[in-house]
This record gives sequence, C-alpha cells and structure tokens, in this order.
Amino acid sequence: MEHTEHLEHTEPPKDMKAQIWKTFWILLGFTIVDIGLYFILPSNMGKNILFIFLGVVKAYFIVGVFMHMKFERKWLPYLIVTPMVLVIYLITLMIIEGGYTSFVR
Amino acid sequence: MSNATTLTAEKKGIWGGGRSPFSVSYGKLMMWVFLLSDAFTFSSLLVAYGFIRYSFHGNTVTPWPSPDHVFNHFPFLHGMHLPLMFVSLMTFILIFSSVTMVLAVEAGHRMAKKEVANYMLLTILGGIGFLSCQAWEWTQFITGTHEGKELFNGIIMHGANLHSNEYGPTAFGDLFFIVTGFHGFHVFSGVMINITIYLNVVAGTYEKRGHYEMVEKVGLYWHFVDLVWVFVFTFYYLI
Repeated sequence: MEHTEHLEHTEPPKDMKAQIWKTFWILLGFTIVDIGLYFILPSNMGKNILFIFLGVVKAYFIVGVFMHMKFERKWLPYLIVTPMVLVIYLITLMIIEGGYTSFVR
Repeated sequence: MSNATTLTAEKKGIWGGGRSPFSVSYGKLMMWVFLLSDAFTFSSLLVAYGFIRYSFHGNTVTPWPSPDHVFNHFPFLHGMHLPLMFVSLMTFILIFSSVTMVLAVEAGHRMAKKEVANYMLLTILGGIGFLSCQAWEWTQFITGTHEGKELFNGIIMHGANLHSNEYGPTAFGDLFFIVTGFHGFHVFSGVMINITIYLNVVAGTYEKRGHYEMVEKVGLYWHFVDLVWVFVFTFYYLI
C-alpha cells in the first residue's frame, strides 16, 4: 500500500451525486430516443450509422462519468480510447465488406 | 553539477519515471487494461455479427429476420405484439444498476460503510433482475411460436437451437446465443464478484484498510458490462 500514497489522486468533483443522476436521465433519454427512431425511421444504412453514433454517445457518458474517465489524467483516456476508435473503424469496414459478400453470393 | 540539475528537472516530466504517468493505482490501471482486452473480445463478436448480418443483405431466399418480429413478447401479456418493450426494460434495469454501483463508489469516497453496503445490495439485485429477464428471453427464443416454420425436409421447427431455428438463417440463432450468452456470462460473473465485495464491505474489510478502492475496481467492471449491453442492444435489436 506504500506506493499508492504519493499518487496525486484525481478527486471526483464535489457535486458527483448530482452528476450521476444527470447522466442517468441522459442515458434514459437516449434509450427512449433510440426506440422512438426505430419505429419512425425507414430501415437503411443511414439509420444504422445513426444508431451506432447514438451508442457511442451513450458510451461517452458511461465511460466519462460512471467510470470516472473524464476526471482522470489525459494519458489514461488516450490509452483506452485510441484502440477502440480503430475497432469501430473495423466494424464499419466489415459491415461494408459483408454487403459485398452478399453481392458476390 | 549542472548535469545533475538538468537530470532532476527532466524527472519531473510525466514520463520521466518515479511516478505513475496515469496517476491511478496499479490495480485500477490493470483493470482498465483487462477491460480493453475484454472489449476486443466483444468487438470481434460484433464484427462477426456485422459481417454476417450484411452478407444476408438483399437475400430473399433466407432473409435475415427483423428483430421486432422475433423479440415482441412481454411476460404476462401473452399473444400481444410488443416489439422491443421487454429488451428496453432490460436495458433500463442494467443502466439503473450501474447508477447504484456508481453511488456505492461515491459513498466509498466518503467512507460511509452503510451506504456502500446498501447500494452494493441494490446493484446485486439489479444484476439478478437482468439475468432473470435474460433467462425469460432465452426461454421465449428457444421455445418459439405456436405456428413454427416448416423446414425443407417437412419437419415443423418450433423455436431455435444451434442447428436451425424458425426465425431465419442458422447464423441468426447462433449469433444470438453467443453474443447475449457471452454478455450474460459477464453479468453473472459480475454478480458473483459484487456479492464477494458486498460481503467484504459488511465484514468491514475496507473500513480497516482505510479506502474503498476495491469497490471502484468492481465498479469499473460492472459499468463495462453495462457499456457492452448498450452495444449489444444497438447491434442486435436496433440494426
């Protein structure tokens, strides 16, 4: 336990509780928007990209506030977020590639 | 002499050594690295889903089923067409258990033992609630509809197994089982870990240790499970 003592701890903000509840309402709102859009919009690629974008927005709030990432030193977010950005790029590429496979079949 | 002073000046940089450049404890950093590797595993499943899903795009022989015709059941409301309602309830339960988890972490910063224990208990109940919902969802999926679907060899197929299902291509059922099953297994492990931590909190282990960092670490894991569900929900039920 000795080495943890001289870590400059990144303290959570004073109004953490208020922020938690605010984030909860934002997440709930986005989920309801998701379901609403599912029934309103016609099914196409643009809708899928919109849903993935909304998923990333929700991920920002969960990782940022719930997982405390917003209040950490900047190198930790860089370490975690950079690979995931590349992964989302890969998912997009594979969805497009799947479309070509369907064409070849 | 001047050399020595420049050396000490350099050591003050973030990557100069002598301190953590991330300013988090070893355990928390390793939890983040584990979560990153776990995120890769889930991403590979979602990559496979996206690829296979769109390789059926425009396929009229074995079309990929629309989720609102498969997942349209709700407990106690038999025979009604209620697409996505049950899975939205599951999403709500998991997000809410994430909130109680982060409230437990917040109470841990204030060393409020009783509050931490109560919020941990609520989180465990949320996790069990989610798992029960998923068990019901799986039962519906496996049992299937009353009508079923006639396969090419004349057998009427009800529900789903790993070889065939009444909803669409075999891959649809298989991907449902592996993606939601792997996530459900994570939720199950999370509930088990949460129970361990809850018992430790009640026993006063962290009170004696002087900090509630273990609660923060399992909190990271639990939020990750919630985060993955956001994407499983997006990919499997919305797209």
